[in-house]
Amino acid sequence: MIGYMDKIKEISERILKEGKVDIIVGFRKGSLPMMNEPCVVKKAEDVKNLVWDSNCGINLVNYLTNRKEKIGIIAKGCDTRNIVTHIVENKIKKEQLFIIGVPCTGMIDKNKVASKVDSEIIEVTENENTIKVKTKTNEIELNKTDLLQENCSICVHRNPVVYDELVAELIEEPKDIDRYASVKAVESMSAEEKWNYFEDLISTCIRCYACRNACPLCYCPTCFVDESRPQWVGKGQDKSDIRTFHFLRAFHCAGRCTDCGSCERACPMGIKVRDFTKKLEKDCVELFGWEAGMTLKERPPLDEFKLNDPEDFIY
Amino acid sequence: MKVVKIDKENWAEGIEKIKESYKVFGPSKSKEFHLFKELEKGEAPDLNFLNTRLSPKSMFFPQSEGILCYCLDPNKKDECNIVKEIQKDYSPKAIIGIRPCDAKAFTLVRPNFDNEEYQDPYWIKAYDSITFIGLACSNTDDSKKGMPCSSCFCTSAGCGPFNEEGLDALIVNTDDGYIIKALTNKGEEFLNKAELSANSNADELTANINTLKKQAEEKINSFVETDKLKDKILLDLHSANFWDDECFACINCGTCTYVCPTCWCFDIQDENYGDSGVRFKQWDSCMYPLFTLHGSGHNPRSTKVQRFRQRFMHKLKYYVDKYDNGIQCVGCGRCIRLCPVNIDIRKICNIMNSYEPAA
Amino acid sequence: MSDWEPKIVSFFCNWCTYGAADLAGVSRLEHPTNTRVIRVPCSGRISPKFILAALRKGADGVWVSGCHPGDCHYIEGNYYARRKFALMKNLLEHMGIEPGRVQFSWISSAESTKYVTVINEVVSKIKALGPRKNFIKSKN
Repeated sequence: MIGYMDKIKEISERILKEGKVDIIVGFRKGSLPMMNEPCVVKKAEDVKNLVWDSNCGINLVNYLTNRKEKIGIIAKGCDTRNIVTHIVENKIKKEQLFIIGVPCTGMIDKNKVASKVDSEIIEVTENENTIKVKTKTNEIELNKTDLLQENCSICVHRNPVVYDELVAELIEEPKDIDRYASVKAVESMSAEEKWNYFEDLISTCIRCYACRNACPLCYCPTCFVDESRPQWVGKGQDKSDIRTFHFLRAFHCAGRCTDCGSCERACPMGIKVRDFTKKLEKDCVELFGWEAGMTLKERPPLDEFKLNDPEDFIY
Repeated sequence: MKVVKIDKENWAEGIEKIKESYKVFGPSKSKEFHLFKELEKGEAPDLNFLNTRLSPKSMFFPQSEGILCYCLDPNKKDECNIVKEIQKDYSPKAIIGIRPCDAKAFTLVRPNFDNEEYQDPYWIKAYDSITFIGLACSNTDDSKKGMPCSSCFCTSAGCGPFNEEGLDALIVNTDDGYIIKALTNKGEEFLNKAELSANSNADELTANINTLKKQAEEKINSFVETDKLKDKILLDLHSANFWDDECFACINCGTCTYVCPTCWCFDIQDENYGDSGVRFKQWDSCMYPLFTLHGSGHNPRSTKVQRFRQRFMHKLKYYVDKYDNGIQCVGCGRCIRLCPVNIDIRKICNIMNSYEPAA
Repeated sequence: MSDWEPKIVSFFCNWCTYGAADLAGVSRLEHPTNTRVIRVPCSGRISPKFILAALRKGADGVWVSGCHPGDCHYIEGNYYARRKFALMKNLLEHMGIEPGRVQFSWISSAESTKYVTVINEVVSKIKALGPRKNFIKSKN
């Protein structure tokens, strides 16, 4: 991934100079180890600020919603699927975009890295397959594949779905991956165990809404949590309200979620919020044969129906 | 004031004694990080941490705090049709292991809740019921965490790893024991109740603390510049052109405000459940569009850049101008570490401090 | 709690089940009284928010009923609803709401006998589950 950097800069500079786009949406180097900051580049000479490595997990499509300019965007597999969703939902026009497609080998989970060392991480440098972690007392080299975000480790759509230009050859998609092992683990529990599992999962939620705001799907003009007439969700820390928030946030993403993992990555309390959305993703595949963001030709599953949709749960 | 040094073995015993007089709160690790929680019998605070994930502000400024309740049920004769104040626990509490930055933060918050014109009874009563026992950010062998952390910029934000403001006593973790220095009468009372008085040569220990303090301060290598903020013209900063660029990445979640020890904004909510209901204070955040939404539907801060600017202008300019008390930030670095998109207050602060409007 | 009776919030489509309930009553068909009916214009109008609100406010069960597929007054409202309900029911059960707390049916306005059969079924299932314990908003 680190090797993509020159190509990304080259393409970005070219399309800016040729006037194909007005801005490039990408990442610049962050101020902490394993953090990059989403940024916009407006001038060809600023292209040098762009970076690309395994710390670009935030979904950049979040920054496209309702924009009017011509935009070049650096997009990995999941991002392009969200671009598709955005186009289908009329949040951006295909003609506005120049998609710089990145065949992605996965993003690093910085919490996982932190758990491998016992003191503060001062610096992290990345190579093709390993990362070197420097702490105040120690320096170790770790395998990148052991440190991937959970969603990346089970991803089977690493290559961009739509793109105008690729930064590298398409890569082979992983096979024989059980993408729904985490869902199945919960499904095998009793109702009470399930309840307690999620109760523990969201016990530290502070309702900062980082999961919602990091999500490229969450663009409602008024979010249900902000509605007041009537107020469907209490604003306090009552457990039932917190759970309602997580339930409805996930449900709003049903059939649209690409499992990009931005929500989980954004959570300041380390809550695995994907446990909610992953179930819906699995059901959409099983019930409606649908995977989000794979085609521009079809409507999302809750905007469509088939005459023979499953209904064995209905009297 | 009393200064004592105790063996680490005697520590747990002292904590148990304290529990007879106070409700004791301390850092405790659950899941991947430390949070403050009430310590049960036999439980000692876990002092091997950089800082707690959330600031302890919720100890006296809970995220949701009931104020009033009412009831319309005629069967409850004593309560029916009466608005009652919700009773709260203001018994003596001790927070052990609060970092100096957090303690200082609350002294910056106090003028908002306790000033000549207004006194927030809930905040003041809860705050005053607490004895703050700080834990200096000294670098010791048994905590190889490498304190202070690299994103701490306390020394240039009017604070420091051994800062004493807002604390009643300060614990300094050394290789061979804890030095505890009382700073107020409350702190001295705490020491007396813990019966930790053995082995004290105040002068020697104070000298010891000062050496460690100097070492810790030297370890801080992250800074902000704040010297010119006060002299900047408010409207120049407000209309500066850097806000658009800097706010691009911001996703307007409330993480920075909720983890911040100095963010104090709250909302009042009413909830009714059929024949009863409550009114409560609830944390709010300037990052949310709803924060400023008027009843008319008009929203004076309807865009991301306006909300982003508000947060930094409040902390680094409005507060500075209004209270003449430094910036409303103590350099704990939580907002930097926890921001999903790496918005860095150090960078924004330096941009503001060095901003010169185009002639 | 042998004399405990569940409280069930029912969302009925105006064009079918609501009429069936009415017809059952007019026809003097005996059936349980555990439901509190909320009339909606179409099963497609039902948002997950409604169902969660009913549960949070302490309903022991929720019952949603609309027109048979193909019979929707608005042509296709219930087809959309069907997909929504399928996902919603699964997600509710996934996070620990017992199967049977939230139930769905298609009952046309003429099917008063089906209405009686289904309401008996719905009530007995929820009765068997007992009073709800979780996901209830606490009044502080």
